[in-house]
Amino acid sequence: MKDRDYLGEFEHIVVLALIRLEDRAYGVTVRQEIERRIRREVSIGAVYATLDRLELKGYVKSHRGDPTPERGGRSKRFFRVTGKGVAAVNRTHSALRSMTEGLDLGWSRG
Amino acid sequence: MTSLDRPPRAAAWLIQLFALPDRTDSILGDLAEEFDGLAARSGVKSAQGWYWRQTLKTLPHAAASALRASPWLTLAAVIGGFFLRRLTGPLPELAIFAFAGKYRLYDHHFIMYQFLASTGIDVAQIGIFLLVGCAVALVAKGTEMPATLLLAAIHGAMVIVAFVVIESAGMDPLLWRQGWYLADILAIVLGGAIVRMRRQTRTRQPLNA
Repeated sequence: MKDRDYLGEFEHIVVLALIRLEDRAYGVTVRQEIERRIRREVSIGAVYATLDRLELKGYVKSHRGDPTPERGGRSKRFFRVTGKGVAAVNRTHSALRSMTEGLDLGWSRG
Repeated sequence: MTSLDRPPRAAAWLIQLFALPDRTDSILGDLAEEFDGLAARSGVKSAQGWYWRQTLKTLPHAAASALRASPWLTLAAVIGGFFLRRLTGPLPELAIFAFAGKYRLYDHHFIMYQFLASTGIDVAQIGIFLLVGCAVALVAKGTEMPATLLLAAIHGAMVIVAFVVIESAGMDPLLWRQGWYLADILAIVLGGAIVRMRRQTRTRQPLNA
């Protein structure tokens, strides 16, 4: 895997959600955080598929929590962003900033 | 909580079939947790609709993740299954006619002979497809459903091509046989589901989400 990779659109969104949630990031909170902010229904499968991909690239790490009764005795899987993941976010942001610099995309007109 | 207040079992079962075994617990736990919150806020019916929507959107992602985890093993299982089917395909007919010849069914039990030579062969073919589906799933550990679905799709495509070729040649496409072909294809997928569920009952706790 190349160390100079940029994040894909949904990967970018998921990593930012993990950074926002800090140590509370697991499937439910990540999915709800993204839905609340981008106002679009997101499937738990899409979130996990992206997290798996990010973990494979070394951008996130996961660990299992304890099983809880309100989850039918099933455990949570918590995620956190690695240093490599933070660097990938910065790289992607920097690239987007460079590409949009000087462009009039009508943002100020809403 | 009654069974009607719980997440739809069929939907949870589908996720168990398609998701990677070590992801199933987290996904079902997350869905169960959100289901409870949604049921309390908006009612059980709405929560069940949400659960089904989430399941249907999750299945393609779960299958793709499983395929990404072991693409070559899955491909090998599908190719192996295809040739295993080609190899074992003529066996039911050979076995049935050998049996009929040995016991001289044509002479002594003609109705039984007639049944075995037509419906009997078709039923035996379903059994062969079921066994092929099981064999493919046994090899494709973790990707049982994507592998058997892929093999079923290949057979389905072959049936459609054969149908079009026969139809365009002006011959009788034997429409009544399509039901048997569909059953063959479903048998492959059923084989995958059987092996997957057998594996899961050995490794996980019972479904109580």
